[in-house]
Amino acid sequence: MSVIVDDELWSAVGDPIRRRMLDLLLTDGGGTATTLSERLPVTRQAVAKHLGVLDRAGLVHATPSGRERIYAVDEAQFARAVAQLSSVGAAWDARLRRIKRIAEAIQLSRDSRPET
Amino acid sequence: MEFGSIEREIHVDATPEVVYEVVSTPEHLRGWWPDEAEFESAPGGTGTFRFGDGASPDAHVVALTVVEADPPRRFSFRWMHEPDETATPGNSLLITFDLVPSGAGTLLRLTETGFREQGWEAAVLEEQYRDHVTGWDHYLPRLAPYASGLVQAP
Repeated sequence: MSVIVDDELWSAVGDPIRRRMLDLLLTDGGGTATTLSERLPVTRQAVAKHLGVLDRAGLVHATPSGRERIYAVDEAQFARAVAQLSSVGAAWDARLRRIKRIAEAIQLSRDSRPET
Repeated sequence: MEFGSIEREIHVDATPEVVYEVVSTPEHLRGWWPDEAEFESAPGGTGTFRFGDGASPDAHVVALTVVEADPPRRFSFRWMHEPDETATPGNSLLITFDLVPSGAGTLLRLTETGFREQGWEAAVLEEQYRDHVTGWDHYLPRLAPYASGLVQAP
């Protein structure tokens, strides 16, 4: 179950236009398909489609306002996406600790067998 | 959302020559990252990393291409591109190890860049990989025999 949710989350943020849309929504505090399309090199129709993907992944929420829907970033779900990316940093921390251990073991073995 | 690069550094009590071997040769990479690594450790050298059991459908194979090999100062390579593609900034991540002498040891600096383009895919791969193995649970049992094997080597 959680794997499926994660797949949706990742494919939602995997697209550069959708990441740009998240940037704009975060900066502006919200927006509609119309206001977003004015600032992006894609049509209003395309923006609406991308907003649907973000909505399904739980990354944005819509509030009806007249004939438009105002979208805002869901901060909890967005934080979750960011946390998953920062786990890439944690993976490197673990790799570097392993590099350190291996290199130091080699060094110790060489120091105990001086070259003749 | 600035995810342009990851930078880390760690002090290692081993000479730059030893650290260079560990970060740049397939035999040693298997000890700290992929389950299998095959590549030529020279500029332009290409090869692959495999994560997971080769017989399992969960296994991932990704390509790498060596960019710089300047022992014992710098080793860098691109990875995550498709095996039949030429590595470029648009289809791969660049990993650079810089080695700086520090006392009797080495300051090892890691930089991984390209996240705006490829980082999400890489993160997905990492997530999937960690579903199967969790860091030290996987590596610790391997490491002790590995280190003693080195000591016993002629």
